[in-house]
Amino acid sequence: MADKIKGKGVISGVAVGSILLAGQNLDSFLVNYQPGTKSAEQKKAANALMTVADNLKKTIEDMQAKGLKEQAGILEAHRLLIEDPAISEKVNEEIEETGNAPKAVLNAYEANAQMFEAMEDEYFRGRAVDMRDVGKRIAKHLLGIKEPEIAGKVIVAGKEIEPSVIAGLPTDKIAGVILGAGSTTAHAVIIAKTRAIPTVVGVGDAIEQMADGDPAILDGETGDILIRPSAKEREAYDEKIKKQEELKAHYAELKTLPAKTLDGKEVELVANIGSPADADAAIKNFGATGVGLFRSEFVFMGKQDIPQEEDQFKEYKAAVEKCATVTHGEGLCVIRTMDIGGDKPLPYIQVGEEENPFLGYRAIRISLQRRDLFMPQLKAILRAGVYGKAAIMFPMVINVSEFLAAKEFVEEAKRELVQEGKEYSDSVQVGIMVETPAAAVMAPVLAKYVDFFSIGTNDLVQYTLAVDRGNAQIAYLYNHFNPAVLRLIKRTIESANKEGKWAGMCGEMASDPNAAIILMAMGIKELSMSAPSIPKVKERIRNITSERAKEILDKVMEMEDGDKIKDYIATIS
Amino acid sequence: MTEATTTIENKTGIHARPASLFVQTASKFKSKVQIKAKGKTVDAKSILMIMSMGLTKGTEITLSADGPDEADAVNTLKELVDNKFGEE
Repeated sequence: MADKIKGKGVISGVAVGSILLAGQNLDSFLVNYQPGTKSAEQKKAANALMTVADNLKKTIEDMQAKGLKEQAGILEAHRLLIEDPAISEKVNEEIEETGNAPKAVLNAYEANAQMFEAMEDEYFRGRAVDMRDVGKRIAKHLLGIKEPEIAGKVIVAGKEIEPSVIAGLPTDKIAGVILGAGSTTAHAVIIAKTRAIPTVVGVGDAIEQMADGDPAILDGETGDILIRPSAKEREAYDEKIKKQEELKAHYAELKTLPAKTLDGKEVELVANIGSPADADAAIKNFGATGVGLFRSEFVFMGKQDIPQEEDQFKEYKAAVEKCATVTHGEGLCVIRTMDIGGDKPLPYIQVGEEENPFLGYRAIRISLQRRDLFMPQLKAILRAGVYGKAAIMFPMVINVSEFLAAKEFVEEAKRELVQEGKEYSDSVQVGIMVETPAAAVMAPVLAKYVDFFSIGTNDLVQYTLAVDRGNAQIAYLYNHFNPAVLRLIKRTIESANKEGKWAGMCGEMASDPNAAIILMAMGIKELSMSAPSIPKVKERIRNITSERAKEILDKVMEMEDGDKIKDYIATIS
Repeated sequence: MTEATTTIENKTGIHARPASLFVQTASKFKSKVQIKAKGKTVDAKSILMIMSMGLTKGTEITLSADGPDEADAVNTLKELVDNKFGEE
């Protein structure tokens, strides 16, 4: 019999693979460790430091060869932390005291980590993580814990999983993800979503029942996890896996077909992406006809300094070029300018302590005050526009004046590019994300100035209903079919169309097939979602007439209660 | 012994990457190389010691070297700091 664990399924699909633990606890190994004499331990520690540094050197060379300069730089610093004369001294001191090499190593790095944590500068405080990471790596080597080899498919499991762990493994190797923490917006989950990796979150301490290499089955729909399943239990899933494969095959057939209703009305289905590689996968695997939201945060995160125009240009150009390869549809690539705030501080954006970062100094509010951040980004997008069709989208706009100020920056960026003799596109569209009730209410006015609207429902729902979607106690109130939300959305779409502009959507609502038909009836032009959702939305649109969609919309707009709308929508065909 | 005083000018100070560049450069020289700042003096060949000083933008540092290639060491390291570690 298997160990059964129940979590919350967040990305559907059945995954079969062996467990790969991220973020291991070393305590049980330390208890069983048999130390030798003090001098033997000191020798062992010295050898371990050398071996781990050498191994790291090889990894760094690999990374450099692959052009991963940033990551190589971080690991290079790790390597120096191992070869540091101050470390070997401290380790030897600790061995004199404890007589235990792995413990001494952990203590030595822990002491340094604490020293870093006590520092004033935020960046240095953050380096404590690096210290512990390095210490753990060496201790593992001393304890004879091998880095698990990846043979066949793995299910990555951890109480918390660093996004780099998932990002660093090849997509075809990861069958599933299990997260102890309950967050559905953790970065690891977002990455899993763009790659359609079945994921279960919120299993808590149950992670401790798993060991590296344990065979496991995970159901991303029900949240069920089976560790070491019997042959019989495994068989029970065969049917589901078969169905999944069939559905996959069916969706693959849909890939090249347009998202057209039975009577020929078409909606563009495009992808939300975080990197140019995502654009490639979205177009190739799921038939996206462009990108409706390129989250440029990924260009900014993990950097110590403001990303340079040239580096940003390369990323944007790659995505724009990918979009230009689509054979059907517009092939537009909408790039959202930096949407960062106090919740994710960066070394070069010091927001400071805020009571409520989501209502604070963030996104366009920072961009408009930080020319040094904003200009390189705008110039990079304008230049990328030469290689296809690009659009600039500003997040968190609440005032017409903000849009006009941002637009003036765009004009200035163009003037600078002319002066610098750099090529750019004059036909890059400039629009806003409608994610605040203020922008939705002011849509008729904003529509006069912008080229387009893209409705960001995640925030629009949250701000309109004053409901934090991460709060489990009030999660039942979070509903994109709430009539207040629907009215704001309808108003936004109609305002755009009235001024001859276009409206799209890039929030989670766009990936709800039933919402899609209502939005289509409202006159939306484009729906942007995480790529794996495209086939199911397309399937829905291809099986309805625009007349029927209009009927459903009319009925929904007459209804007065969000929950009733939800129930009604679930029953329609 | 050769000495030179300068100020950290790159925006984020001596964080991981600049610190490793600094240590790698310092380690190329045979001389004993030290950094003096905020009233402390540390081994310039130890990334840990350097990072522990919390050298942020605007900190004044004194580089000193003692050995056969001391002048060269101080000049090279000062140049590295003054060029903001090639960051901007």
